[in-house]
Amino acid sequence: MNPGPRVVTYLFGNPNLPVTDTLIVSWLSIILIVIFARVATKRLTLKPGRLQNAVELLITSIHDQLEAMLPGEAMRFLPFIGTIFIYVGVGNLIGTVPGLVSPTGDLNLTLGLALVVFLVSHYEGVRDNGLWGYLKGFGEPVIFLLPLNIVGELARPISHSFRLFGNVVGGGIIISLIYQVAPGLIPVPLHAWFGLFVGLIQALIFGMIAIAYISVAKSG
Amino acid sequence: MVQFSPDVAHTIIKAAALLGAGFAMIAGIGPGVGQGYAAGKAVEAVARDPEARGNVITTMLLGQAVAESTGIYSLVIAIVLIFTI
Repeated sequence: MNPGPRVVTYLFGNPNLPVTDTLIVSWLSIILIVIFARVATKRLTLKPGRLQNAVELLITSIHDQLEAMLPGEAMRFLPFIGTIFIYVGVGNLIGTVPGLVSPTGDLNLTLGLALVVFLVSHYEGVRDNGLWGYLKGFGEPVIFLLPLNIVGELARPISHSFRLFGNVVGGGIIISLIYQVAPGLIPVPLHAWFGLFVGLIQALIFGMIAIAYISVAKSG
Repeated sequence: MVQFSPDVAHTIIKAAALLGAGFAMIAGIGPGVGQGYAAGKAVEAVARDPEARGNVITTMLLGQAVAESTGIYSLVIAIVLIFTI
């Protein structure tokens, strides 16, 4: 939970290369995910143990969600969407650990992920419909709506990234306000709500909207 | 025309920005109404078909999170107004 990133140190002492706390925590979460993935997939067996069962449940539920919205191509997009979902989810949840901040409370991270989704969705649109066929889709239903369609298209990564950023930062600000008024055990349920529940829901939403953008672009 | 000293002018700008942040959060009405409507419809759906409870709740949460985005925009604008001016 954080009310915004703050600069903690400078890379190589260069004032043009600030290192924020969110950047450090995002690398920490990447390392944690890699270690967890190595441990979870070290001994894969046909009769899964408890850990393997849990991981398989996560992966198959993402796969089912993809299969419902992008029929026939779930396996192609599973690594991409699964990575986004797991990374955002861990980034949201790690903020509840005392002393750590949510890396998703930094617009750099959310806007970066949203721009990746934006590029992938346009690439998929061109790949499926051809360049001209895809560009023609912006002039539908009448050519006068072309500027409106382009503005709507450009607003997508902004709304996609600000939704996650605003939720995490808003929760962090509310919690830090409550801490000033009532320290102690009172803000603990708020951590459960904003950190765990809203964090997981927003990770789910971020992944679902990424799938929706890609499937809309594919259909032209 | 009245000429303010820089201190006074800055105070006025700050006060206007804080007022603007308050006004921006009026947008919170929209998501409130939208999420309440979605929750009400979900209650109706569960009452009609209690076995579809899990699916209904997932769909409701997704729709509510999307409906929330206008409120989040106003929140971001309010945060910018409070902390940057």
